[in-house]
Amino acid sequence: MFRFSKDQQVMNIGGVRIGGQPGEYPTALAGTIFYHGQAMVKDPEKGIFDRRFAEDLIRRQSELSDETGNPAIVHIFARSIEAFSRYLDFVEACWDGPIIADSSEAETRAGIVELLSEIGYADLAIYNSLGAATTPAEAEALLNGDLDSAILLAYNPVRSDPEGSLDLLENGGGIKDKGLIPFAREAGLINLLIDPGVVPLGSGAGRALRFTVMAKARLGLPVGSGMHNAVSSWHWLKGRERTARHCCDAASAALQQLAGGDYLLYGPIERAETVFPVAAMADIMVAEAVRNLDVVSTEDHPIHRLV
Amino acid sequence: MDGALRRDEDEMEKLGPLRGGASETWPPVRGDYHIRDPARAVAVMTLASRLIVDGSAICGPCVTENLGIEKIVANVISNSMIRFVLVCGQESRGHLPGDAILALHRGGVDDQGRIVGARGAIPYIQNLPREAVARFQRQVELVDRIGLEDRDSIERLIEELEERAVPFPESPFYVVSRRASRRPPSGGEGDVIFGRGVCLDSMAWLTQSEA
Repeated sequence: MFRFSKDQQVMNIGGVRIGGQPGEYPTALAGTIFYHGQAMVKDPEKGIFDRRFAEDLIRRQSELSDETGNPAIVHIFARSIEAFSRYLDFVEACWDGPIIADSSEAETRAGIVELLSEIGYADLAIYNSLGAATTPAEAEALLNGDLDSAILLAYNPVRSDPEGSLDLLENGGGIKDKGLIPFAREAGLINLLIDPGVVPLGSGAGRALRFTVMAKARLGLPVGSGMHNAVSSWHWLKGRERTARHCCDAASAALQQLAGGDYLLYGPIERAETVFPVAAMADIMVAEAVRNLDVVSTEDHPIHRLV
Repeated sequence: MDGALRRDEDEMEKLGPLRGGASETWPPVRGDYHIRDPARAVAVMTLASRLIVDGSAICGPCVTENLGIEKIVANVISNSMIRFVLVCGQESRGHLPGDAILALHRGGVDDQGRIVGARGAIPYIQNLPREAVARFQRQVELVDRIGLEDRDSIERLIEELEERAVPFPESPFYVVSRRASRRPPSGGEGDVIFGRGVCLDSMAWLTQSEA
């Protein structure tokens, strides 16, 4: 393992600290709930779902977090504002930690910013995401809203190598008038989490790992990803048995951690059972590796709980 | 399909047309699709729907408006028998790959590689040369049936298209991954280089950026 000469910023989002030197803070793990195709979601437009099932999933992620020391985040995916509003009402009642607010629809994302700002949830919410696909309406909503935290998606469709991703963050990379970081600062976003944007395995997924090191070295900001997306889009693996698929999923999380990742969007929250132990193990390995590099693991780190 | 794609003349010469326009190694780009009969004239793009239809050359889903479209174009233009791309199934929300491929066929890409007129999140073509896009526009007709999921209706439509198809009168057009640059990335003072001035001093295990 390694440490960075540049100071590594630590973001405190609803009590969860994300960032720092590899081995310093436990990796934050965000499981997605109400995602497209999740069986318990009965009506994704209105946000109708099996409440007991959803509560069990959130509770189980929370238990695993308590046990391992890896902070949990509930990643809410919503198709519409109506659905998001229902989901949030529910999540609020059973989870007091940070959430990630997400939708594939730009209009919904813009509406979510307004909603979160209105109801005073802005300090606990992480916007997913500000990136090349951000529309003017979304940008306007962010400028007018009160959100403190956002994921900056550094996928540059014009130049998809790590250098292109850094350009997008710093100066717009030729496709945005302004870099994502300067824009985020202008919008009053304090806690910035960088995500390289993971493309399918075979299309350059591994670049995200090199980018993680480069972004932390240059910017000192927390970096993480949904590395499991590289695996879930791997056609060959789809024909393998379930255990093999889940192993690859969890292993992708560990790879991101070994590259210095600070947080993981680990995919369906149902995978918490396999991802948390793997992430805790990787965190312990990294912490042991940097012990004589003047890096001290925090008290809540898995190395102090599980070994 | 990592890195830019270019026309591969060697591959075209080596393989030559087989089975009426496609080589034995067709399709050249791997993906989430089902090969039916490479000598048929219709490629079916089922968007976010999981459908397997008979009578086509190839069928499969596509949920992204950039990499997914690139793979479809690369595979279609490498088989001169394919004259139609039938776009059906449910559109992938936010990404709108169906809209993107229709827009690509209609207006191509701008100077930055953005698909002209596409409404999806990140509709960029980055890994195909312009001549590949032009070839795609010339070779195939796009049939917009976005929303159609009924298998029987799709198969009937395929047969109708098949009846009026003639092979495209040009050789298959292959695009393959460009070889990696031999130019070493810029490094800093360390001995392990990540690029853009970021390096690792492996004795100290210290990663630093010269910026």
